[in-house]
Amino acid sequence: MLSLGGGGAKSSKPSFVSYITPEEIKSEKEPPKKERHPNLLPGEVVFCSADPILKHTQDDVSQRGIFGTLLCTNFRVSFVSDETPLEETGSNLGDLISLQMLFCFVVYDEKRKMITGGMLKNKYPSKMIIHCKDLRVFQFCLTFTKEEDARKIFHGIAHHCLEPKSLKCVFAFSYAVSRSPEMQRSQRTVMFDSKEDWAQEMKRTKGNCRIVTENEGFKLSTRLPKYFIIPSSVTDEDLFKFQGKGLPIWCWSHHSGCALFKASTLPVPQEDGVIQRYMERMLDAAAQTHLYSLKIEDLSETLPTVQDIQQSYAKFKQFFLIDNSTDFWVSDVKWFSSVENTGWMDIIRKCLQKAVEVVECLEKENTNILIMEEEGTDLCCVISSLVQIMLDPHYRTLTGFQGLVQKEWVAGCHAFLDRCNHLCQKDKESPSPIFLLFLECVWQLVQQHSPAFQFSETYLTVLSDSVHVPVFSTFLFNSAYQRESTLKAESQHPQRGPLNCPAVWDWSVQFDCKAQELFLNPLYADKLKQDKVLRKVPRPKHQRQLSLPSSAFKTPPKKGFFKDETESLKKMLRVKRISRWMASPDSPAANTREFYEAWQRRPLDHHGLLLPWLDGPAVRLWMQRYLRWIPEVQILGGGPVAVTNKMAELLVQVQELRKKLDLKGCWQPEAERVQLQPRPLALARNSLRLSSAFPFASSRNWTFKPVIPTSLLQSLMLTDKLASQEDETTEVISLV
Amino acid sequence: MNQSGLHARGRDMFGLCCLPGECVLQRAVLVRKKLSPKEGGGWLSGTLFCTHFRVAFVPQDSPRPDDNADPVLLGDHDVALASIEKVVAVGPLRTKLVTPSSSLKFTPEELILYCRDLRVLCFLFDRLTPDTQAVEITYTIAKTYHPLKPGTILSFQNAALGSIEMKQFLSNRRRDSGMNWFESSGDWEQELERTGATGWRVSSVNDRFEMSTSLSRFNVVPQKVLDTELKKTFAHFNEGRIPRWVWRHPHGSDLLRMASFQNNIYHEKDDIRNLELILFGGQSQCIVVDLGDEMPSPADLQLAHTRLRTLCLGDISSSVSVPDDKWLSSLEGTHWLDYIRCCLRKAAEVACLLRRGHLTVVLQEPEDRDMNCVVSSLVQVMCDQHCRTVAGFQALVQKEWVVAGHRFLSRINYHRDSDKEEAPIFLLFLDCVWQLWAQFPARFQLTEDFLLALHDSLHLPLFSTFLANCQRERCRRSQNLPQSYTPVNGLRELPRGSVEEPVDPPYPPVWDWALQYSTQRRALFTQPVCQPSTPAPVLNGNFNTNLGPNWISDGVPGSVFLLSRSLFSCPSNLLPWRSGGGSVSYRKSHRRAPSSESLPALERLIKACGQPDPLQDIHDPHQPLIPLLLGPCVRIWRNCYLRGALHAQAFTHPMSSNARHPVERLASEVEHLRERLAQASVGRPPNRKRHEHRRLDSNLNQNTNNGTFLFSSSSSSSSSSSSSSSSSSSSSSRASQQESPSRFSARPPAAARYRDGGGKHTFLFGHQGEPQSSQRYAPCPGAKLPKNSGPSGAKTH
Repeated sequence: MLSLGGGGAKSSKPSFVSYITPEEIKSEKEPPKKERHPNLLPGEVVFCSADPILKHTQDDVSQRGIFGTLLCTNFRVSFVSDETPLEETGSNLGDLISLQMLFCFVVYDEKRKMITGGMLKNKYPSKMIIHCKDLRVFQFCLTFTKEEDARKIFHGIAHHCLEPKSLKCVFAFSYAVSRSPEMQRSQRTVMFDSKEDWAQEMKRTKGNCRIVTENEGFKLSTRLPKYFIIPSSVTDEDLFKFQGKGLPIWCWSHHSGCALFKASTLPVPQEDGVIQRYMERMLDAAAQTHLYSLKIEDLSETLPTVQDIQQSYAKFKQFFLIDNSTDFWVSDVKWFSSVENTGWMDIIRKCLQKAVEVVECLEKENTNILIMEEEGTDLCCVISSLVQIMLDPHYRTLTGFQGLVQKEWVAGCHAFLDRCNHLCQKDKESPSPIFLLFLECVWQLVQQHSPAFQFSETYLTVLSDSVHVPVFSTFLFNSAYQRESTLKAESQHPQRGPLNCPAVWDWSVQFDCKAQELFLNPLYADKLKQDKVLRKVPRPKHQRQLSLPSSAFKTPPKKGFFKDETESLKKMLRVKRISRWMASPDSPAANTREFYEAWQRRPLDHHGLLLPWLDGPAVRLWMQRYLRWIPEVQILGGGPVAVTNKMAELLVQVQELRKKLDLKGCWQPEAERVQLQPRPLALARNSLRLSSAFPFASSRNWTFKPVIPTSLLQSLMLTDKLASQEDETTEVISLV
Repeated sequence: MNQSGLHARGRDMFGLCCLPGECVLQRAVLVRKKLSPKEGGGWLSGTLFCTHFRVAFVPQDSPRPDDNADPVLLGDHDVALASIEKVVAVGPLRTKLVTPSSSLKFTPEELILYCRDLRVLCFLFDRLTPDTQAVEITYTIAKTYHPLKPGTILSFQNAALGSIEMKQFLSNRRRDSGMNWFESSGDWEQELERTGATGWRVSSVNDRFEMSTSLSRFNVVPQKVLDTELKKTFAHFNEGRIPRWVWRHPHGSDLLRMASFQNNIYHEKDDIRNLELILFGGQSQCIVVDLGDEMPSPADLQLAHTRLRTLCLGDISSSVSVPDDKWLSSLEGTHWLDYIRCCLRKAAEVACLLRRGHLTVVLQEPEDRDMNCVVSSLVQVMCDQHCRTVAGFQALVQKEWVVAGHRFLSRINYHRDSDKEEAPIFLLFLDCVWQLWAQFPARFQLTEDFLLALHDSLHLPLFSTFLANCQRERCRRSQNLPQSYTPVNGLRELPRGSVEEPVDPPYPPVWDWALQYSTQRRALFTQPVCQPSTPAPVLNGNFNTNLGPNWISDGVPGSVFLLSRSLFSCPSNLLPWRSGGGSVSYRKSHRRAPSSESLPALERLIKACGQPDPLQDIHDPHQPLIPLLLGPCVRIWRNCYLRGALHAQAFTHPMSSNARHPVERLASEVEHLRERLAQASVGRPPNRKRHEHRRLDSNLNQNTNNGTFLFSSSSSSSSSSSSSSSSSSSSSSRASQQESPSRFSARPPAAARYRDGGGKHTFLFGHQGEPQSSQRYAPCPGAKLPKNSGPSGAKTH
């Protein structure tokens, strides 16, 4: 039944050495076919499948691979290896492929062709190359399959992954795991979907604004969350005037009392001055609430546009989507300059720079800040979240960070659906990796100030992957309104059970406990005396400054760093502003240097203000995210994993010794010298085999045997993180 | 570090502990020094001195120096005048480069010293500093710092080491006997034994440097070659640098190095036999690795390094700066990283070749004095665990660089006499080792601090190690000096107090770290939790020589291959005597080389090498370190090149001085718990497996400062440890043992001084992408620390 003749002929080609001879395939085909199905998720449906397919390993020298079955479901494209893993796990998970597909290249007779939706050819390809959104690359050879099967699977994948579709088709709506609601409640992430959450947040930061409840039914605006906070002096009349546009929406309050607001810009001012007057009132409201001055920062003028970001990232990621290692060796020579030329690192730098400017206003000059953008939901989210991370240690904890994303991005109506392009729309304008940009910026902070963060870079990497998993309600909608209305409509659907759309923060959906331990930074410098949540009271920063030796370090005259605003805006604003911007055309970096120096002179406090370093060598490549799938750059038995591993070893030792002392009865826990929280990091085993890409790829597949990633993964503790749970991490369909 | 009987060496001048003969030229009070993030960040106030040897900074609350302590050339905050490259004064409105001839029209508020070793020291004058002092010290430094010239170097050396007391002190210093100096034939024999090499002997045919002036006195050659035969071979090589054995791989192949062949010489039949014997050394195949044409030339390196310095230093007096968004491409434009990659790649290739066993790999370079040193020592760092310890690394440098005749003096160019020769070959090597260290931190016993110390010492023209071009020069000078330190074994016991006045001061070797670094800083040279650095047990013999069917030998015995540009070939003119005109009998006796076609590409060889060997234990710590050389993997040595630049603070976040590194804390916690366990179970026989925790006593001091410590640092712990196991003291680290008397008496100062040292103790950790700032502990792959070892005696005070 299998067209093995062709396959045999192919495999006898000299350049192509297949590990399994066709005879072996035949014998392996005997067991019933069902076994090769992966464990399907509830609600997952297999569309089509084809076998035998040869999956190439990434090694260009050997040109080898493994045979198996390729399946396309409504959630993922999956490859099930014929070879049963010999490992202890009885379930034959096979080799799953998460398909956050970017491009599908197809090789017709040595020529590569990029497949986009709508242009399918009838001719069936000999090879299929799949680029995933998490930057993995898969290559499948279709020449061993029956022509019909091959065409079917190819069309199936192309159709389901690359064609535009409607929101209803996203897998989340077929995914029907019944999850007890209390499980969701049990997580500690503040979701910011109730009035209490916002009130609590305002109390925590000692904000002094009012919560708007008028938008509960989204009557005010569909682009605003159900509840939000505005300066208390905004009148109800003004509230409804422009559908919430131009409203200064409270983000966060500094302990000095000044606050950070964000707003969307209003349409072009009309002649009658209604808008101007409205705007004036808004600015007054934002400023006078706190009796401080106000600064306005229009992000769209100083930061790259959403499209720039998209283009830059598209160029940038090409360096990491490598079909075979030869490509990589070639790109090697000009590595630094080519990475630099994409401009992606510079965008990161600019965002951080802007955030530092805002931080300086809040921290040093104690003025209110209003950041503005056309929609107020893209770069506003980036900047305001970054500012809060730099200023508020609460957001550097895991739950705090999740709360921040929830507050600024999810409740703040970032258009995840459009930006991530879950629906494969052809519209070239909207998709843009804004959230990824934010994570990149956070990563820069994490790697510069590691002990200040409770979460690890692995957490950030996993989060960036999860964005493309169309299961989580967190990243599936454009706004709170859309979320609410869609979910309501869907759950009333008669045929289906209650719709359950977990938030991404429920990490147990994706990972088991052991894998979740990797999210935590073992080096987190915990505050020794953890008070209540409210411990973040205004700390006597000014005292600290005074305690510095009054410096002979004379400060050059302060240069304002906010750009000269237009005259009209200046007239419009009656608020006090610092207009000390000088004519000196200094670089922004020079302007903030003084701020940096003052910060540097203080003793470092991981629970105080954090500033990123932005110079050329400081902004770096997120190695873990971008290089994890490339075997050539994985250091076997080296890299930072080795350090973490040693830490874990020592921790285990400490625990063992303590236990022993306990047995001897001479251990007084209160006499504990070192306030460590020994978390049993489970990665103490196999230290030498861990590569620098540790939690993700297992080891270099430089064996001449074909590599079965899963079996290797399972042989390593913990790495099953990706292997065993890929049921959930994987998914279908989305195309740029 | 014996206590010599000298008295009054340290003389106290205004609180500065001067060297004998050193005098303070100028001082300024109430100065603050900017601390690097590594030192804890922030500012330290104290007094700034300028002597005619160094610029010294004494922190305010530093303890009174102990007059009986051994003189230390440089304190923790000091910089030698010879290391200073530029003096920049920053005034309220302007910055000015101060030269000896320039005049200062303003009172400087800030003084920045740019050093040759890429450090940047920044001093702030307080408002309360008398203006005259600020101006004067700037002038003094500018006038006395030594632009490198022959005369000034000598006067600098005399200022540092020239006094009689200093000379006596130096001549009485005992050499570190823990490392192999490769200066006697016994040293070489020891190395042969350590690596398990058989079929080789130490020849002293060059004992008087008659055969080759640049080679060392003792060379290792095949046993079969007699000295009389050997003498004839010198003429066939450039500068007489014959193929010499340097190392044996655990798989049984040998590494040799040689200079290029002299082509204009007639190869006699007997000579040919000897030449081949030397090349093959009892092995069946020989691979010549040509380093001549594909490695960067010294001029390239010099240019790249100059560019890199300019890029990294960020000199504020010359307003040339690279915009941030062009930094990476500028870095690429220096090509420094390319050269590093090139060296590492070549070394990795050689390391893979050596794995095959039964062959000799001969490194060939026209002069055999630059790149051969780099590659040969890199190969050993990659493959030999011993070379990743401090003692082993020092021995390696001794063997491959100092004794082998690397032209340190010309390459470093202390005297600025011939700029053409200057090239940072040794710095390139250090950077390559750092790359290895950064990729495999857990496999090294030495740390980045050690490499940095070596890097910095290279710029200090005081050490015999770097002050000569070959061993002959070193020996000659030391023979001129009647009672100086002499590197030759057996001359130690010379009568003291000779009346002759030596011409040059006696130069100490650089390995005498106690001259430069305090105990706290030397403790950072090794990982805090380290396994005993026993030589690898595998490294004694022909281990695992049958490498399975994968390693079918590609050639017949007796064939010679050339490895060049990652390809094997068999050119007929590789060995000049084998090409045309050779004797017929020779051709008969050796079968033809198999083919001249390219053998499998090296890429595959390296990959196969990186492949975990299924036969070997998964925890095998002896696998070679094959570095990754792709673009993202080769990085800039931030803590070296970028440490001085103002923006460099980015890479190591400052930690306040009382917060310790987590690994450090954990290590000391383990230590502490073990201690208590031992206390609880007195009488239990101590575990024989020992671990040195050198950092411990300083940790205890730290705890004294923090006030959170449980037992008094010296008395109770030492008494308990001595009572429980008297033998444990024998395992204490050498340093603490030898210094114990002085340390004990100097306890309060030591404890207080630790506050300063504490800053240096807080290493910076946790940049996931940047392991160089992190690993402070030891590799011990697979070797778990014993769970209940007795008090491991590192804390005998």
